[in-house]
Amino acid sequence: MAVMAARAQKPLELILARNLLTSLSTPAFLVDEKAQLVFYNEAAGALLGRPFEDVGRMSPEKWISTYGPIGEDGEPMPLDDLPTTRAIRNGRPAHASFRIRSADGAEREIASSAFPIVASERGSSGAMILFWPTNDQGSEGDE
Amino acid sequence: MKIRVWGARGSVPAPGPEMVRYGGNTSSVQLLLDSGEQLLLDSGTGIRTLGLSLAAAPRVNILLTHLHLDHIQGLMFFPPCFRSDAEIAIWGPASPEASLEDRIARYISAPLSPVEVRELPCSVSFRDTPPSRWRIGSATVVCEAVNHRGPTLGFRITEGDTTVCYIPDHEPVLGTELADLDPEWISGYDLARDADLLIHDCQYADEEYPAHIGWGHSGMSDALTFASRVGARRVLLFHHDPLHSDSFLDRLRGTARRRWEELGNDPALVEMAMEGGELEVAGTALPAGVPA
Repeated sequence: MAVMAARAQKPLELILARNLLTSLSTPAFLVDEKAQLVFYNEAAGALLGRPFEDVGRMSPEKWISTYGPIGEDGEPMPLDDLPTTRAIRNGRPAHASFRIRSADGAEREIASSAFPIVASERGSSGAMILFWPTNDQGSEGDE
Repeated sequence: MKIRVWGARGSVPAPGPEMVRYGGNTSSVQLLLDSGEQLLLDSGTGIRTLGLSLAAAPRVNILLTHLHLDHIQGLMFFPPCFRSDAEIAIWGPASPEASLEDRIARYISAPLSPVEVRELPCSVSFRDTPPSRWRIGSATVVCEAVNHRGPTLGFRITEGDTTVCYIPDHEPVLGTELADLDPEWISGYDLARDADLLIHDCQYADEEYPAHIGWGHSGMSDALTFASRVGARRVLLFHHDPLHSDSFLDRLRGTARRRWEELGNDPALVEMAMEGGELEVAGTALPAGVPA
């Protein structure tokens, strides 16, 4: 059949990143080149109170409205200030601490580091974001 | 479109009396287009005898999936390389580190080789595969990175309504389960989707794979699950492990056919690649109203 159907598959580097994140016990997100959330792992699901399978892909705006990252100044964090956005925009790792609201309404302080995923041919394919809870008693991520 | 296999072995040439029928030469496949042009897929040791069969003043395109030795070793012994009337275009994966020519020249240069690339009398050009589809003669070619060790491509080649997909080195199951995975997360999915023939890595029997996870190759059931998920109509299992004798591959063929049937497909449409084997591939007519 000669038809090459519309693209169904993610770039390989995102597929490999997802496979890696699946095997980590560190909470982690994966976003595509438009900063759309395309995956988070079980550890992140535990942190947010909902597994990815229940949530599905999500635009950055939807992510903010759902989980409401709140900056250290107590104000909602602008999209442009999120480590994810900065990592994709600048092609460099970005780090920030903020609070998120999980599905049960509880707020959690976390530190977040975003690492851009850049393929030589395509440029940015997205970013990998790792989270560390900073206020959970006994958490290995305590700082 | 006609396919001829000149080398189906993976990793390293494996000659010997127990390897006679499936052959010991490494990856080399000749694809003869209906228009008369031809594409050579990889240049393992099988390309040497392929080159002997070519007519005078050949113009050939060689598509390299990657530069592991079993996919380029035959290049230095490809007879057209030593003919001044030959025109050879070599396509391969781009790299930020060095040009395709410079990377291949690491092999075709002293002390590994008695000749240097610049000394070859043929007209040879080295071309990075473009990120979007391109045409070679009457064929449309698409390549995409696939999961293997090191930068590696698969190719999707379409002529008219016939599509062949070639992914000789591929471990799509690494870190995941293929059976229920959303297609967007399957390495090689777009390349192989609805192919009339899929030529795919099957280096290991299922019982061998657990000892080789992460080596960049597929076990038999994983290869067939991938083929089934992408909707391949016919499958040629390829890149046989150098330890696999003719009798071992005969048994693996029987197991593969049963497995393919269990997956809901016609067992006659899965085959083990065999050196010297030829296949005629015809496309499936498109339903009325579907744009080509």
